[in-house]
Amino acid sequence: MSFRGEAAIIGIGELPTQRTYLGKSMPGLLGDAARLAIHDAHINVGDVDGIITEGGITYPAFVAEYLGLSVRFATGSSMMGASGATGVALASMAVMNGLANYVLVVIAQDRNPALGGGGEGFPGHAGEFDFPYGPAAGANNGYGQIYQRHMELYGTTQEQLAHVAANQRFNALENPNAVFKGQPITHQDVLDSRYVNYPLRLLEVVMPCGGAAAVIVTSAERAAASLNKPAYVLGGGTGLDDFGALQKPEITVSPVARSAPIALNMSGYSPRDMQFAQFYDCYTILESMCLEDAGLVPKGEIGPFFESTDTTYKGEFPINTDGGQLSAGQPGLAGGFRHVVEAARQIMGRAGPRQIERNDLGMVNG
Amino acid sequence: MTAEYKKAVPKPTLNPEISAPFWAGTKKHELWIQYDKRANRFFYPPAEIGPGSLTPIEDLVWTKVSGKGRIHSYTSIYQPAMPAFAEEAPYVHALIELDEGTRMVGNIVDMTDDEVRNNTLEINQRVEAVFVDITPEWTIVKWRRIDD
Repeated sequence: MSFRGEAAIIGIGELPTQRTYLGKSMPGLLGDAARLAIHDAHINVGDVDGIITEGGITYPAFVAEYLGLSVRFATGSSMMGASGATGVALASMAVMNGLANYVLVVIAQDRNPALGGGGEGFPGHAGEFDFPYGPAAGANNGYGQIYQRHMELYGTTQEQLAHVAANQRFNALENPNAVFKGQPITHQDVLDSRYVNYPLRLLEVVMPCGGAAAVIVTSAERAAASLNKPAYVLGGGTGLDDFGALQKPEITVSPVARSAPIALNMSGYSPRDMQFAQFYDCYTILESMCLEDAGLVPKGEIGPFFESTDTTYKGEFPINTDGGQLSAGQPGLAGGFRHVVEAARQIMGRAGPRQIERNDLGMVNG
Repeated sequence: MTAEYKKAVPKPTLNPEISAPFWAGTKKHELWIQYDKRANRFFYPPAEIGPGSLTPIEDLVWTKVSGKGRIHSYTSIYQPAMPAFAEEAPYVHALIELDEGTRMVGNIVDMTDDEVRNNTLEINQRVEAVFVDITPEWTIVKWRRIDD
């Protein structure tokens, strides 16, 4: 497939070029240019469901949050001077393939001496509006709040979610690549581990590690000639949080509520057809809400699900058969990618002692 | 008090000009946030663009608000990201939903150690802003429980 007129620019926005933009920051300028282009295109802000920024300085997810855009596709285009043009190409691919309908490509430079002059860095709000209140490190803080609210709304208990960590540790015991291989823990060990920030206990929080992951993707035609059993990609979808915790309507709903329906619809299968799942698991609560939002478990019922379901590789619905990030470790941004690798490994039938029997159809959330 | 305060003070790095009215308000022990005239809603933290509407700055109006709201959710910090906070742990870091409709983050003051450790704070608990002068320069917003 090539572009060949199948994608087009329908609106433009430009701010005057000046030596500096006193009083303005990068996100402010991005917003001004975005408003102009959206107006010019005769669409509404709510129609924009994709965003592409220069990803190195202006993180697309942060820009989307700052502008209050409800996007399901966001990516960077870090190609120096060609970032904008490349962004248009990426946007064309996105709209031609159903990842988004209207992609905003937007790039700015403030040259505001009060902000460092060159617009380097994009520090966000945390240093000004959160750090003075002593948050827990990184994402721990927000997921503690999400956990607390899930408990309040659905009666979820810490005893129930401790099964997530315990079952995955069982799975990791037989994974030679897992940081916690051969180190068993019990359900009670999880409940006895100390609080990092209530309700999150130490064994419900991921361990930062080093590592790497990779796959080779090829066409179905070439895959058919492979010596390996291929793991075919049947569908895919993307999602991003609408807003940060200060404005999103419900903090216990994850972006999987948006990405999973797209992927399932593309695949022609329903959640009921899935035989296993490899799901992003920086915290027990995050994995839990994502499993709900994917439709694998009804919303609010994840607690009883983990109480009554064996999710180890020996169980009726295996989840994170390599231990997941919670027990295999989180090698930075490769952490989520590992879920893809393990799903392919299971489908190819190459998971060794932890090989699952029903391995035709699985769902991955990275 | 100045020399002793070792915990994080606000660092307005994103755009100090834009957030200045917020901090000028806290200094007077008043809560001022921006009202988006086109979207008819309050929002926080301060921005140059109305989130969700892209309303330009001319139509974002600084407004004094009630300073009352309720607990949307919270987490109790046993292991703070910054060591300077460790002596106070555990303490509560909460999401507050203002009566005017947007959310803020902050600590809950006047809670005993037992109250924090036993997780007695309830979702939807009514709270109001209290203003804490942490240095001669900076006043931050915390929250205390109220009856209604």
